[in-house]
Amino acid sequence: MSDDWKLVCKVEDIEMEDLIRFDHDDKTFCVYRLEDGFYATDGICTHEAVHLEEGLVMDSEIECPMHQGIFDIKSGKAVSPPACDDLKTYPVKVENEEVYININ
Amino acid sequence: MKNEHKNILIIGGGQASAYASQEIRKHDSKSTVTIVTEEKFLPYERPPLSKNCLVDKRKYEDCLFFSEKFYDENNIEVKKNIHINNIDFNKKIITGNSNCKLSYDKLLIATGSKNRELEFENNDLKNEENILYLRNIDDSKKINLKIKECNNPVIIGCGFIGLEIAASISQFEKKVTLIEKSSQLMGRVIPEEISKLVKLKHEQEGNIFFLNSNIKKIEKENKEFVITLDFNKEIKTDLIIIGVGSIPNTSVFENSELIIENGIKVNEFCQSSIEDVFAAGDVANFYHPHYGKYMRLESYKHAQNHGIFAAKNICGLKESYVDIPWMWSDQFDLNLQLSGVCDDYDDMVSRGKDIREGIIYFFLKKNIIHGACGLAIGGKVAKNIRLASKLSEKKIKISKEILSDTSTKLNKYL
Repeated sequence: MSDDWKLVCKVEDIEMEDLIRFDHDDKTFCVYRLEDGFYATDGICTHEAVHLEEGLVMDSEIECPMHQGIFDIKSGKAVSPPACDDLKTYPVKVENEEVYININ
Repeated sequence: MKNEHKNILIIGGGQASAYASQEIRKHDSKSTVTIVTEEKFLPYERPPLSKNCLVDKRKYEDCLFFSEKFYDENNIEVKKNIHINNIDFNKKIITGNSNCKLSYDKLLIATGSKNRELEFENNDLKNEENILYLRNIDDSKKINLKIKECNNPVIIGCGFIGLEIAASISQFEKKVTLIEKSSQLMGRVIPEEISKLVKLKHEQEGNIFFLNSNIKKIEKENKEFVITLDFNKEIKTDLIIIGVGSIPNTSVFENSELIIENGIKVNEFCQSSIEDVFAAGDVANFYHPHYGKYMRLESYKHAQNHGIFAAKNICGLKESYVDIPWMWSDQFDLNLQLSGVCDDYDDMVSRGKDIREGIIYFFLKKNIIHGACGLAIGGKVAKNIRLASKLSEKKIKISKEILSDTSTKLNKYL
């Protein structure tokens, strides 16, 4: 199981209320740092295959840079159109000041 | 809200209609909701028609906002292929072709906009199959086929649509000649520097521009056309695509009592001059309380959200529409974004040096952002353009020094 956890970055690499893009194999993820911890979702918008990495993180939400569809970061839920399908979310843990994502 | 049964009729089958119908169902499960559209398709997204669909990166059938199942499950009827001939606002009845006669209690007009036609001398050329406009899926399909066959395409009009089509044609390794009557691309709303950067990118890709150029005449010579510009320059072409702007699609209402001034005049609640008649999207000239003036917008997000707000008000929720305008254009690997109002300001400042990191022009009025326009490779300006909207919406004063300093994050000023 330990192989499921992938090292993303150091804690200090992600600013508060911001995200970092993490690519693994052919998949892209977004790892977020919010006031109450770290979270991760798929990195591509469910509306039109756009990378979310340039999107605005605010109030626990990520807004797509292209069409401004909005997702709740913690649940992945699409909360504002044109996004209607939810983002998949992934467990994140911090160990020794390093951020890990469980992509399974 | 009283949830009594009403006949809610939406005319027009675009984005405002689709999202209005969805929003109505969030508040009202009982009323009859009918969309009447000239289109033969369910409401679909138009931005891909000039971009990904033209270069075969997106299928036309994938452009629907909602599937047929959505309309069925939500009991929303979509009557397609209906051209409306008459509206009787007193009797609250619309009539269209195919014996279509429908009454309504609440009417939403979301008929969008239509292409402004280019005036040129020989009207007999207007039906030429190699002189095309882009408005709907069928137009895009025709252009998709023609741009693969053509050798020396010409685009008349350097607005967003003309430039996006040119960028799409370039992907087939064909050079496009673009003709524009004004002195810069994309109109005066776009900062001159950004306009120049977009022009430079097109030129690097091999496209050629004739600015400050009016069309004197277009003639057919064998299978080709010869376009003569007003300084007697002649351009030979086998395909002409025209994108010279849009006008609100209001012709069916023009002899009625409905007040039309650059679109159907509506207040911040999407209500027109006639009771129970609402308008949303491109067709509406709406009062915007944030700017204290009327405006008409032709953009994706506006069509969506204006439709949603019209629906709320149709359902009796009385919510004013105050969204900050926002739009984008994609050309090659460039993404341009614009928010707010960029042609009414007392000061301006830029942020960023080049398109690699993103360059944004902020337009201020009394130290408050009134509008912002940015350009970058990829989505690099998106975040700050969005923050500009939020700072503007909250009327937060912000200095030019902060806005121009790329090391300062703008979200901490919200």
